[in-house]
Amino acid sequence: MKTFQHPFAKILSAAAFAATFANSASAQVVQTPTGVPVTRGKALNPDIGMNFLGLVQESSQGSDPNSSFPDGISFQEAELLFSADVDPYFHGVGLFSISQDPTTREFGFEPEEIYLETIFLPSVSLRAGKFKAAFGRHNLLHTHAFPFIDAPLILDEIFGDEGLNEMGISGAVLLPTPWFSEVTAQALSGDNSLIFNSPTAPGYAGVAHLKNLWDLSDSTTLEFGASGLTGGNSFDAQSKGWGTDLTLKWRPAEGGKYRAFIWSTEYMRVTRELDPAGEDLGGIASWFQYQFAERWWAQARVEFVGIPKPTDDAATTQKQSVLLGFFPTEFSGFRLQYDHLKPSDAETAEHRVALQWNISIGAHPAHNY
Amino acid sequence: MRQFKILGITLLWISAFTITAPAHAKLDVLATTTDLAYIASRVAGDLGSVSSIAKGTQDPHYIEAKPSYMVKASKADLVLAVGLELEIGYLPNILRGARNPKIMPGNPGYLELGPQVNPLEIPRGKVTRAEGDVHPDGNPHFTLDPVRASDAAMLIARRMGELDSENAEQFAENAKTLQAELSEKTKQWQERIRKSGVKNIVSYHKTLTYFFNRFGLQNPAILEPKPGIPPTSGHILEVTRLIRSEKIPLILVENFFDPAVTRKIAQEVPSVRVVVVPVAVGGASEASTLPELYEALVRAVEGGAGR
Repeated sequence: MKTFQHPFAKILSAAAFAATFANSASAQVVQTPTGVPVTRGKALNPDIGMNFLGLVQESSQGSDPNSSFPDGISFQEAELLFSADVDPYFHGVGLFSISQDPTTREFGFEPEEIYLETIFLPSVSLRAGKFKAAFGRHNLLHTHAFPFIDAPLILDEIFGDEGLNEMGISGAVLLPTPWFSEVTAQALSGDNSLIFNSPTAPGYAGVAHLKNLWDLSDSTTLEFGASGLTGGNSFDAQSKGWGTDLTLKWRPAEGGKYRAFIWSTEYMRVTRELDPAGEDLGGIASWFQYQFAERWWAQARVEFVGIPKPTDDAATTQKQSVLLGFFPTEFSGFRLQYDHLKPSDAETAEHRVALQWNISIGAHPAHNY
Repeated sequence: MRQFKILGITLLWISAFTITAPAHAKLDVLATTTDLAYIASRVAGDLGSVSSIAKGTQDPHYIEAKPSYMVKASKADLVLAVGLELEIGYLPNILRGARNPKIMPGNPGYLELGPQVNPLEIPRGKVTRAEGDVHPDGNPHFTLDPVRASDAAMLIARRMGELDSENAEQFAENAKTLQAELSEKTKQWQERIRKSGVKNIVSYHKTLTYFFNRFGLQNPAILEPKPGIPPTSGHILEVTRLIRSEKIPLILVENFFDPAVTRKIAQEVPSVRVVVVPVAVGGASEASTLPELYEALVRAVEGGAGR
């Protein structure tokens, strides 16, 4: 748009520009009564938060090296989170996790997710950095947001106890449908020691996920997702996997503070194409969470690893869990969980009881729905 | 790499959609609360289509960031929010998931009303969560004051005029009409409240601060021991004692809370009236507009419909 500028206006605007420039430095600093300058520079600090999870556990089989956490009192995990807009184009997130090795008892400080994400593009958001891969729903969750104290068995079996967490580039497109439909495609560095880690560099791996979510009513939503992964593995063969998830959520529009339920099921299966008989790992987890009062939840989960059975005599595992949770506020929670774990090749079942405390301080970004 | 080809093709496909997308005839407005949606629909009239994320029956602090709201936001020209940390639990997720750069904070398609209408109860000194769910920048429930609601209407009209300059005058006129209507009714409501003789009211949460402030009422106690903490028996005892000693005639309970606690108090102190009230447009069938909502609250004070 062309505007006519009177010569006098040009001088005025130049003067105004100079004035604001001269003022801008001192405008940041305000003198307080004590004479100590206070700057508003802190206003641009990132949002900072910390989550902490601690655990007391007793299991019938003593400290099992295969279990994620030892018996007794343990430091499950702490997370430091920093997030801020980088500039008009990107948002930056840094999430660091601190945990204790169950056997060596040493503490480790590791990046869990550090990435930039675009905020200026329509319909698509691009992400680059280290992040949790979009395979299924549970893999995207941080430990303090897990619906139970531990992750589903099949996730641990396939990806290891860190889940599928890689350096990568990701694009997530919001499809122009009347319901929420999103396609995510990710190119990953293929570092996962269990299913990737190809000896031929660069060992790229790929993950794709389709997420659909429908509002069945004001109170109820249904989500259906499908995932796929592929990548070279350490045996110089190709790992291929697929998964599907279905989640039904209800929270009434009236009285919704006091009642809700979530029913979620996830199935995943990965083959490493090594020995077709022994290298096809699939399993399912289905859990139900019921909020029966303002601060109370009762939950149950059933899991089965070994669907399909790779060979007739291959071992399978069943696990059932129940949990009671008390949440004084949205920033603190206490959960008591009982697990019954029965591998088909074990003589006796393992019983485990654990009490977890879960708190967060500082800026706490909203959880995904 | 096949993965990159797929990503590239997907991006091309998406750009086809965005480049050829037709211009909106009407302004597409998404508000976080039903009160803001009502104000926006009065200001926009036929020139806009307005929807709300929260329902009038929901506690506005605890809305979940449902992906369906991201779809709505992806098509919106303007997002209206209260701010003052009311929507901090869900709105950032919705805005980022919407992938609509127009409505990102800092752009004209995003407007926060709360900080601009002179908020009340801005805490002094250090603020911590030990004091409960405090709003560090002030109480966000400003739409329960008809004067501030009118101020918001003027701000919304100005922003709509910036986005749709052809109709800027119409938006401004609609806002002035709403302001005049509310201003006239406010005088009548103030008179009726004065006549009712009610001075002190206990409430469940601090939702009604702005309503009390506008209509000269005091709120000497709330049933929550601290904001966001459910009533404890010790605190209920204290409040019951206060109701007796100060002869407080009325308890108003926001209708998204469980009225069981207040029923207990009503049994202890038969002289106190307990009324469950809507505190947002659409919160009850008799409160389908903002004037109707204020009317329902005034009637609750006067001694009308008690549930």
